[in-house]
Amino acid sequence: MPLDMVVCVKWVPNTQVVNIDPRTGTLIREGVPSIINPHDLNAVELGLRLKDSYGGRLTAIAMSPPSAKAGLEFLIGMGVDRAILITDRAFAGADTLATSYVLAKAIERLMPVDIAIFGQETIDSSTAHICAQTASWLKLPYIYYVVDAKLGDGKKSIVVRRVLEREVETFELPLPCLISVAMKSNVPRPVTLSNKIRAKTEGLIEVWSNDVLKLDVNCIGLKGSPTVVSKSVPTPVVPRKKLKFEGTDPAEAARWLLDRLEEEGVKVV
Amino acid sequence: MSSAQQICPEWGQDFRAKEDFRGVWVFVECFEGSVSEASLQLITPAKKIAEKLNTSITAVMLGHGIERMLREPVYYGADSVIYVDDESLATYYPNVYGDVLVNLVKRHRPELLLIAGTLRGREMAPYVANCLRTGITADCTDFDVDEAARDVLQIRPPFGATLLAYIRTPRNRPQIATVRPNVFNLPNRDASREPSSIIREHVEIPRPNIRLLSSEKLQKEAAIIEKAEVIVSGGKGLGSPEGFKLLEELARELGGVVAGSRKAVDAGWIPHERQVGQTGKSVKASLYIAVGISGAAQHLFGIREVKTVVAINTDPEAPIFDNADYGIVGDYRQVVPAIVEEIKRRRRG
Ligand SMILES: Cc1cc2nc3c(=O)[nH]c(=O)nc-3n(C[C@H](O)[C@H](O)[C@H](O)COP(=O)(O)OP(=O)(O)OC[C@H]3O[C@@H](n4cnc5c(N)ncnc54)[C@H](O)[C@@H]3O)c2cc1C
Ligand SMILES: Nc1ncnc2c1ncn2[C@@H]1O[C@H](COP(=O)(O)O)[C@@H](O)[C@H]1O
Repeated sequence: MPLDMVVCVKWVPNTQVVNIDPRTGTLIREGVPSIINPHDLNAVELGLRLKDSYGGRLTAIAMSPPSAKAGLEFLIGMGVDRAILITDRAFAGADTLATSYVLAKAIERLMPVDIAIFGQETIDSSTAHICAQTASWLKLPYIYYVVDAKLGDGKKSIVVRRVLEREVETFELPLPCLISVAMKSNVPRPVTLSNKIRAKTEGLIEVWSNDVLKLDVNCIGLKGSPTVVSKSVPTPVVPRKKLKFEGTDPAEAARWLLDRLEEEGVKVV
Repeated sequence: MSSAQQICPEWGQDFRAKEDFRGVWVFVECFEGSVSEASLQLITPAKKIAEKLNTSITAVMLGHGIERMLREPVYYGADSVIYVDDESLATYYPNVYGDVLVNLVKRHRPELLLIAGTLRGREMAPYVANCLRTGITADCTDFDVDEAARDVLQIRPPFGATLLAYIRTPRNRPQIATVRPNVFNLPNRDASREPSSIIREHVEIPRPNIRLLSSEKLQKEAAIIEKAEVIVSGGKGLGSPEGFKLLEELARELGGVVAGSRKAVDAGWIPHERQVGQTGKSVKASLYIAVGISGAAQHLFGIREVKTVVAINTDPEAPIFDNADYGIVGDYRQVVPAIVEEIKRRRRG
């Protein structure tokens, strides 16, 4: 049975130096180069592996600014079949609830979908919320931290393995369902030349604005977000003694350190 | 903002005023036949918040055969307990546990729900928040309260730990937050504390639509670096995986364990579960020795609760020295063996 799958990916700023709008407390994206969230590439890879095994189609969805088109082309280069860029000023400022609402509506529009795949978390917000929230909107089963997946007997379910702090669990989920893929699992494959050429084909990337999705403005963007960032402050530094050993002899340095630790009451000997 | 403010119709007809919600809830995990430490740590911020809001703390527990554990959260400071004990909760499924919790919240209407940011907690909490059509803040590291509005300020480090964002949920209730394990200490345990009530709830438990086929315990000790008293941590400056052998020797002498920076993890020199920092773990050791670690904000974030920080680094300008108690400028390949030698010498007396 060929699988119809979607993978949700986010276009994120690729830098440690991010600027915050002091008024709204939200991220200023202008001038910061972006990439596809690295943990989403593991999710894409798992989708491609399922496609290799069972055939079918993998569609990438990103709710992002228009510049994400470059990232979606990259994913098509990896082997994704097509992509949907959901972009509209009306979606801006969304928290995770409002974001998951839009993604859920987009997935609904693409139904029938067998599996919706997510990354473990994004590097810019690292909430790991979206998959579970989307599952709640869609009223579908979901599971996190998946490292591999195969179809169950009868091909109406998937069997996934996931790793927690202290155990490895195997679950069977009926289709359709949502899974979130463990970061660092499923090492992403490289872009191939033929796929890269294909990525330039007209029409592989559809752009959906809210004219397409027609969502109530009270459910999206800032208005549809129950949480607000009321302020951002620099992380306070923890005060430390900042004493430095003045000298170059390692043996002397070692004596100095152990003496200091002893004074502190740290028992090392 | 006008009073006739529109809300999303999907938020539901029974969207209630926030005055209808009172009390602080902590969700106490007991998946493994014992109460999870990360959930008991929740009681520390819960106390501070409940005091400011002049309300009480309720521990919520779900599972099967959990009756003998019900008083544990009370000993740590919870005022009352609400629990569901049912055969169908013997196995954890995120949406089943989530639905039961949603049901309890709708019945009792707490204003705040705290959930430990364990892997299962982070899996279940956003589902619960969404079913309740309310906001959720992930991995909080601190809280404050706006008493007038009765809003809890949920504090977390976004975008690389250099900033702390204060997030609030001004209209919707309950407010929901997951809390990063190990940033709060366990409150003192007092086995003489009596609960004001322990209530067994009966709710309809949805039949799971997913199935656990197998579960296998990993042969590894839990929370090695989180629990360690002494940590010797290595960074990119070690230059090679062999560098960690020297660190292990020092750690052994000190009765500690080794950990690493993200660059050491990315280089494959040490597993991710031993990464310290914002995208790794927070540690609470009394002694943390940072070797060949520059001291990036994201790394420092994980050692905020460490008592004494030692830095060994060749670069006198490395930011780690401004964030350490004791610094030695030098090559770790000389300095670390010298410390090991000195410890042995002193031990011989
Ligand atoms: C969103 C985000 C999250 C992050 N999360 C984390 C996290 O959780 N944990 C984390 O650690 N980082 C994290 N980082 C990465 C962080 O910004 C730094 O890149 C990282 O901590 C640097 O690691 P390092 O100190 O080992 O390496 P470097 O910065 O390369 O420093 C190496 C140091 O070793 C010293 N050195 C070199 N040779 C020697 C020698 N022979 N003896 C002694 N010293 C020597 C050098 O002087 C230098 O100071 C995160 C970054 C981002 C953007
Ligand atoms: N704006 C978005 N568009 C598409 N997918 C997203 C978006 N934000 C988050 N996701 C997906 O949800 C996962 C978890 O994101 P987060 O909850 O932000 O940590 C990501 O790894 C993506 O798979």
